[in-house]
Amino acid sequence: MHVRVTVDASEHPSYDPHHHPLWWGVLGAVAIEAAVVATLLTSYFYLALQSPAWPPEGVDPPDLLWPTIVLCLLPASSWTMWWAGKGSDAGRKRQLAIGVTASVAIASLALVARSVQFTELDIRWDDHAYGSMLWTITGFHYTHIVSAILGTAVVSVLAWRGYFTPERQLGVVVDTLYWYFVAAVFLPIYLVLYWVPRVLS
Amino acid sequence: MTDATPALDLRERTDDEGRERLARIERTWASPTGFLGWFMPVNHTAIGRRFIVTSFVFFLLSGVLALAMRLQLLVPLNDLLTPDQYNQIMTVHGTAMMFLFAIPAMEGVAIYVAPLMIGARDMAFPRLNAFGYYVYLIGGSAFFLSLFLGMAPAAGWFNYVPLSNKEFAPGYGVDIWTTMITFIEVSALTAAVELIVTIFKLRAPGMSLNRLPIFVWAVLVMSFMMLFAMPSVIVASAMLMMDRLVDTQFFVTEGGGSPLLWQHLFWFFGHPEVYIILVPALGIVTTIIVTFTQRPVFGYTALVLAMVGIGMVSFGLWVHHMYTTGLPLMGRSFFMAASSMIAIPSGVQVYCWIATMWGAKIRFATPMLFVLCFFAVFIAGGLTGVMVASVPFDRQVHDSYFVVAHFHYVLVGGAVFPLMAGLYYWFPKMTGRMMSERLGWWSALLIFLGFNLTFFPMHQLGLEGMPRRVYTYVPEMGWQFLNQLATAGSFVLAAGFGLTLINAIRSVFCGEVAGDNPWNATTLEWATASPPLNSNFPQPPVIDSHTPIWDWQQDDERPVVGGLRDDRRETLVTTLLDARPAMVQVLPGPTPWPFVSAVAASVGFIGLIFSPWFYVVGILAVFATFVLWFWPRHPYREE
Ligand code: HEM
Ligand SMILES: [Cu+2]
Repeated sequence: MHVRVTVDASEHPSYDPHHHPLWWGVLGAVAIEAAVVATLLTSYFYLALQSPAWPPEGVDPPDLLWPTIVLCLLPASSWTMWWAGKGSDAGRKRQLAIGVTASVAIASLALVARSVQFTELDIRWDDHAYGSMLWTITGFHYTHIVSAILGTAVVSVLAWRGYFTPERQLGVVVDTLYWYFVAAVFLPIYLVLYWVPRVLS
Repeated sequence: MTDATPALDLRERTDDEGRERLARIERTWASPTGFLGWFMPVNHTAIGRRFIVTSFVFFLLSGVLALAMRLQLLVPLNDLLTPDQYNQIMTVHGTAMMFLFAIPAMEGVAIYVAPLMIGARDMAFPRLNAFGYYVYLIGGSAFFLSLFLGMAPAAGWFNYVPLSNKEFAPGYGVDIWTTMITFIEVSALTAAVELIVTIFKLRAPGMSLNRLPIFVWAVLVMSFMMLFAMPSVIVASAMLMMDRLVDTQFFVTEGGGSPLLWQHLFWFFGHPEVYIILVPALGIVTTIIVTFTQRPVFGYTALVLAMVGIGMVSFGLWVHHMYTTGLPLMGRSFFMAASSMIAIPSGVQVYCWIATMWGAKIRFATPMLFVLCFFAVFIAGGLTGVMVASVPFDRQVHDSYFVVAHFHYVLVGGAVFPLMAGLYYWFPKMTGRMMSERLGWWSALLIFLGFNLTFFPMHQLGLEGMPRRVYTYVPEMGWQFLNQLATAGSFVLAAGFGLTLINAIRSVFCGEVAGDNPWNATTLEWATASPPLNSNFPQPPVIDSHTPIWDWQQDDERPVVGGLRDDRRETLVTTLLDARPAMVQVLPGPTPWPFVSAVAASVGFIGLIFSPWFYVVGILAVFATFVLWFWPRHPYREE
């Protein structure tokens, strides 16, 4: 059988972060994690709606101060990620390095705020299902911030060493995508954990 | 461009230049050999084959457990197994059949076949693929090992609380279940993402979504279902794990928790899971029908829509497993109506198959024979399914042997028969050799007869009131005769599977040589050598119809992709909808890091059985290995 070459692959670039399968892969990971968060929040409502009191008698809803600070810090760190990506697109390596490092720093602040919050919760995880939900959802998001920070720290090390070029910025693009997710997913968590108990009681 | 002039297929070229080029490409895509080499391959054919073989080993082991249960139930008041042993064996059988056999077997077939069918040279994330396999192997083996250590879970495959709480299930059994199942689901999720992205982005140029082979559509639907169903069981298992490990109160009534929450979360996953297994099986069946009737499928669009429909509707049915939990009447009625609705897309499928076969000259080789068995058994299971979907009927037979009969008809009918069909169908592709037709016929016959002899009497046993999950019964109940039929049947069934096992092993060594396309099929996996070349396609194909191979035969010409480099692993990335060429992806070669990462993750998960601190240890260890895995190698390769 004869073959006829009808598509020439050498005409196509081998580096196009916005077509790259890895970008889609991270989107898949985000979908999974979003499903996990949705399941956790649904369970929260399920238990809340069948409890006589939520939070249980004598327990205060968590303080609003720290979570609200986190709510402001995470978008700020997303903005620095975006700014870093702009720099990377334009080949400004310094802007990239500064941007991702700033994001790591801001998110670390958020992590500190998150940690303080754990110590101030009015209930333990083993006192009541309400406490179990609170600790688990907070812990889940905490883990995400940690993994986003660790991953981005690696990216920033590479950035300072000048590894990324406009053709090699895939790592930055997918890391940013994940970062946006970690920041965005805090909004529903914030509303449910800190506002719903106030509205319910 | 390297191949400007019309030339022969690279594999048929006899001139030095053609041969050298082929050899160069094959070296680039080769997997390492030897003992250390075992930990390194990333090609999807290698990983897919491992998934398939491993899942069949688990099938065999779980089947032996089933025989042990059937022997125990042979006579009333038998003392072959103690009650606790029976419970452990039953739980491990059910769990392993679902999580270690059925799902991974489908994943394995998908990982092996789907990339070939879409004309890709490998999957989008080859290393992740390898990682998923090692996770499955380690998790599955650890789970099975617990049985030999006598500390297996014994609370049934769905682990209802409070039976599975620390109070009623002391020991490590349920902890092993929660950690290992979560772990294996991680592997299923990596496979799902991997398959979706590969199907979306690595299709041959011209293979627009409306030319995607039906099997690949089925794999796509399966993967999306996994993406949205698995998180539910992962969350549920994590909660149960914490209830047992650090005294959280999710499922503890006194602590404000709810045992029913477990059931909702479990079945929100558990019902779709049945379809996660069934949908790819439907894809296998359709593929085989097309090949053995030698005509394009009737109603392509209807079939695709039916599969997508089944996938979506199946997420709204989970409550039919909970009719006896005292839910409000309104809720039960809603789910009863929804459950009956699944009959509509299933009906569409059956009519499309009938129309495809109508008036065709059907070739009755073994794969087609198993497809016919699938029809008979699965439709019978569907009928009892409509029965138990009705609330009043279900409340009579709930937790009786009627249900055991029903779900084995659906699962064996819907998964095992199609998998056997697929095994006989793709075996020549995977090994380059045909399986024996004569042994195949005998095997199909024994499996079909043995299956019905085993499970048909169970309907009657259920109606006579025999509850499921009992380790024995008293003679006065009069259940002995039917149980003896069932036990006899299970040995006929085992003999049938034994024949196929012998057939497979024998054929690997001395089966008839198959050639590239022994069934004269039309999908692309048959457009490469058997077994496939390391690179799958030295010159990847270009597509302009549903039936590429048949068209090429007519035109005596094959359009291909040129210009991919020989010295590194390149594959073409195309656009999502109409598969226009977009970029070239450079894929990674063999590496041991996925294995190292999987071991690190295993340490974390297995440790969780004993101490919550392994959560932290696991995350840090996995992170460290991931950094090493992804760290750009010096000197940065020109890319
Ligand atoms: C191949 C021959 C098979 C035989 C002889 C067999 C036999 C049995 C028996 C005797 C039980 C225990 C019933 C009870 O005590 O209540 C059982 C339970 C079960 N089987 Fe099978 N089985 C077979 C195949 C399969 C397959 C292929 C699957 C799934 C893909 C499967 C899934 C299950 C499940 C989920 C349970 C329920 C376990 C539980 O109650 O927790 N079985 N089977
Ligand atoms: Cu169901």
